[in-house]
Amino acid sequence: MRNKCCKWTVYLITAGAMALAGVVYGQERNAATAQLQWDRCLICHGKPGLKKVLPNGRIISLYVDRDQLARSVHSKRRCEECHTDITTIPHKGEIKKVDCRHCHYKGSPMGVPDTEKYLEYEESVHGRAVKEGNPKAAICQDCHGAHDVLPPTDPASHVFKLHVPQTCGRCHLKEYSDYSKGVHGKQLHEGNMDMPSCVDCHGEHRIYRPTDEKSTVYATHVPETCSKCHAAKQIVGKYGLSPERVETYKESFHGIATEFGEKRAANCASCHGYHAILPSSDPESPIYVTNIPKTCGKCHPNANLNYARGSIHVNPKSKESGVVYYVSTFFRYFTTLVILGLIIHILLDIYRRIRLRLEKEKS
Amino acid sequence: MEEKKDLVKEQYELRNELYSYLEQQVRERLHEEVDEGFVESLRQRIDGLVEEGVGEIRERVRREIHAEVTKKVGEIRRKKEKLEKEKKKEHVEVERFSLNVRIQHAILFTGVIILIITGLPLKFHEARISEFVIGLFGGIDGSRLWHRIGATMLIIVSVYHMIYLLFFEEGRYNFLQLLPRWKDIKDFVQMIKYYLGLTAERPKFGRFSYVEKFDYWAVYWGMVIMVGSGLLLWFEEISLRVLPKYMIDIAKEAHSDEALLATLAIIIWHFYNAHFNPSKFPLNKTMFTGKITLDEMMEEHPLEYEELVRQGKIQPDAEDKQ
Repeated sequence: MRNKCCKWTVYLITAGAMALAGVVYGQERNAATAQLQWDRCLICHGKPGLKKVLPNGRIISLYVDRDQLARSVHSKRRCEECHTDITTIPHKGEIKKVDCRHCHYKGSPMGVPDTEKYLEYEESVHGRAVKEGNPKAAICQDCHGAHDVLPPTDPASHVFKLHVPQTCGRCHLKEYSDYSKGVHGKQLHEGNMDMPSCVDCHGEHRIYRPTDEKSTVYATHVPETCSKCHAAKQIVGKYGLSPERVETYKESFHGIATEFGEKRAANCASCHGYHAILPSSDPESPIYVTNIPKTCGKCHPNANLNYARGSIHVNPKSKESGVVYYVSTFFRYFTTLVILGLIIHILLDIYRRIRLRLEKEKS
Repeated sequence: MEEKKDLVKEQYELRNELYSYLEQQVRERLHEEVDEGFVESLRQRIDGLVEEGVGEIRERVRREIHAEVTKKVGEIRRKKEKLEKEKKKEHVEVERFSLNVRIQHAILFTGVIILIITGLPLKFHEARISEFVIGLFGGIDGSRLWHRIGATMLIIVSVYHMIYLLFFEEGRYNFLQLLPRWKDIKDFVQMIKYYLGLTAERPKFGRFSYVEKFDYWAVYWGMVIMVGSGLLLWFEEISLRVLPKYMIDIAKEAHSDEALLATLAIIIWHFYNAHFNPSKFPLNKTMFTGKITLDEMMEEHPLEYEELVRQGKIQPDAEDKQ
């Protein structure tokens, strides 16, 4: 009787432990548990030389660095959770690229970051190209990495600000090379976090072609995009640049035409270039004084050096603008004075008329 | 009552007869439009004559009454005519602005309105309404085209105006009348005094008051600045062949600032003086019909009125002649 009781107790404890283990396994899935699972796959994939030849002749490495994976945000994931089409060893059938949307979607209960970015990507130039079947178009892991996904704030991440240009440059070679020549690229490379990387102008997930109206670098949106830094004194002020550049542009004919939706009007990039943006003191810069005729000549045929005599960014309220300042100041006082005088004359006329009427009524 | 009793029967009857004759005359010929004083004075005369004697006087008195009534009828008619004439004078109109001037003004203000509507949105580009207005013209391309149409109208008018001033006698005359004179300053000072109640006498203006002269010359100043700077901006590529970029900046600044000054002056000053002041509100038609009533002319341009009367170009009524 006592024995039987004891037996039942053992059963119960065992069942409880098993249930607990199940909970731990199912919910916690701690690193150790998942990483034990990796061992099976790493028997082959843990060898650095493991390669595969694709039908198109490209050779891809199938090696997975255990340490790298263990440091990544997916350190608690089992291989099959991402590589869902792998069910047997040796693998059978076509092995597809990992589809991150399996877990990463808006409103997902899997504990992934719940953001609009998934949807933004779907709408972006990359997402659309993928949908249309372009095999070269960037998917998540092209930018974020595969087994080494890290938060963007992690200095080792592919999408950490300082690494973004290289990441994008893997496909956008020409742009990367141009960008690296420009002030933004050079200084970002030196570790200056004030400088814009690709995504600061083009957007992170919502990247569109420059000809797409939704793009932040669409002709009429460029000034606003540049203004994020170039109208902010606390950013451009540090580098001796005037935060008025955007405002003075907006007051110019180019700026006003752009504001009213004229795509042909010059925006920031039309004169300063893009990617390879250089200071006006650099002879390579399109706004270097002797390059002005050529730069302005893109729109104004036969432009000459007269285009360089004076400033493009003119603030009539600033004394540095010379005659323009004095013309503006003259008109400010002159207009006030004249209109005030005219108004007084009108008020006196009205006053006299009222008085005459009152006198008439009295008599 | 005492007198009545003393009257002999014949006198009494004659008097009654003449009284009824007078009453009949007043009723029939004057239609009773006559004051009681007139009738009463005739009655008293009848009384006096009847008391002098009877017999021969009947016909004489009747003739006298008839003559008196005839005189009165004439008096009343003349009075009526005079009233009518005065009434008519208010509506007698003379030409103030010739068709030539009116057409110039019409082209000028049409051009200016187009220029203001398509130009101000550029100056106040951040305002919501600016985007709406530019949208009405189909974007910046459309509004720019209209701005240049308005500018062309302005340029045509200013060139034609020079021809008008040089080759039309009327133009030369008007120009001489528009030249600023010492009198304008005196008029201005007196006007201010009059406004402040320091004098009861309004200055007497000639064909053009100092207010109108100011408007006319303000347009010259405006035209020179607006057309000059506007052409530099319109043909900026040609301008930049010979001028440095900062000259274009100066032109743009002047164009923008003078545009605002001109717009304010037109809306506040010109509209008040021409249309919105209590004597003209809401619209003074003179610039459209060219006509001004003699009354208005006497009020606003008394010296011109006097001059035209002296030249015999307008006929003042009989009383004014005396």
